[in-house]
Amino acid sequence: MRDFTRSGPTILMKLTDYEATLLESLVEQFSGLLESDGEEAPEVGDSFARWQAELAEPDLLDHSDPVIRRLFPDAYSGDAEASGEFRRLTQSRQRSERLAQAEVVMSALRDSEAGSHRVQVRVIELDAWLKTLTALRLSLAVRLGIETPADAEELDALDEDDPRSYIYRVYEWIAYLTENLLGLR
Amino acid sequence: MPGENEPVQPGGVTAVSERPAESALTGWVTIVWDDPVNLMSYVTHVFTSYFGYAEAKATELMLQVHNNGKAVVSGGSREQMETDVDAMHGYGLWATLEQG
Repeated sequence: MRDFTRSGPTILMKLTDYEATLLESLVEQFSGLLESDGEEAPEVGDSFARWQAELAEPDLLDHSDPVIRRLFPDAYSGDAEASGEFRRLTQSRQRSERLAQAEVVMSALRDSEAGSHRVQVRVIELDAWLKTLTALRLSLAVRLGIETPADAEELDALDEDDPRSYIYRVYEWIAYLTENLLGLR
Repeated sequence: MPGENEPVQPGGVTAVSERPAESALTGWVTIVWDDPVNLMSYVTHVFTSYFGYAEAKATELMLQVHNNGKAVVSGGSREQMETDVDAMHGYGLWATLEQG
């Protein structure tokens, strides 16, 4: 049987226990990165509480981390002030949304009991999957130093003994998952 | 493209080479920049699902990003473009807004 099939409103994805566990741990690390300050983001619905929190602590994320900088890039190139203002207005919600999307993926992976059942991807939740898988690839790309297509080719040609080679395989595998999910949307 | 300070040719042939784009009338544009990570199929998906562009237009914009390093994907008011850039960031695309 094929590894990706669609059954009505659900895409079924066959993962090995190793793959399911690996993906779970990557998503968990990603959520951990967004929660690294240890504080819960205020409820999205409570705009006053959010506004207060923003005033008290305008920036909960660690922008010295290049992964954070890639996930929350400048909206205005060459205008730090406008970019900062944009970030102040969007970042807290953007962060909560990313965490909620990661939770969609986590919960489906948990339900699969480490791949012993097919992972169920509900088509209405497909964007949460695609966004999370993309965020994982962006994070791995930053860690691998992929800034140009040539960087990726270099990694592709690495000897298997090189530790970066394994991370690059994971990065490519997530691309494979993404392509297959997109193909069944 | 000719610079703004180029002397005007009096009585010359028409200088209006193209119709002003929508962005010229409303002010701001959203630009998506190329990156070596995002998949071409995914970028096309974002353009169809977020902007509601037809597959052909979305593919054309994706190829523009891929081949030219960037593409203007939408135009409008500053507020609208901030909304679009915010959405693009949510998809993991590298986007900025600027005055068109």
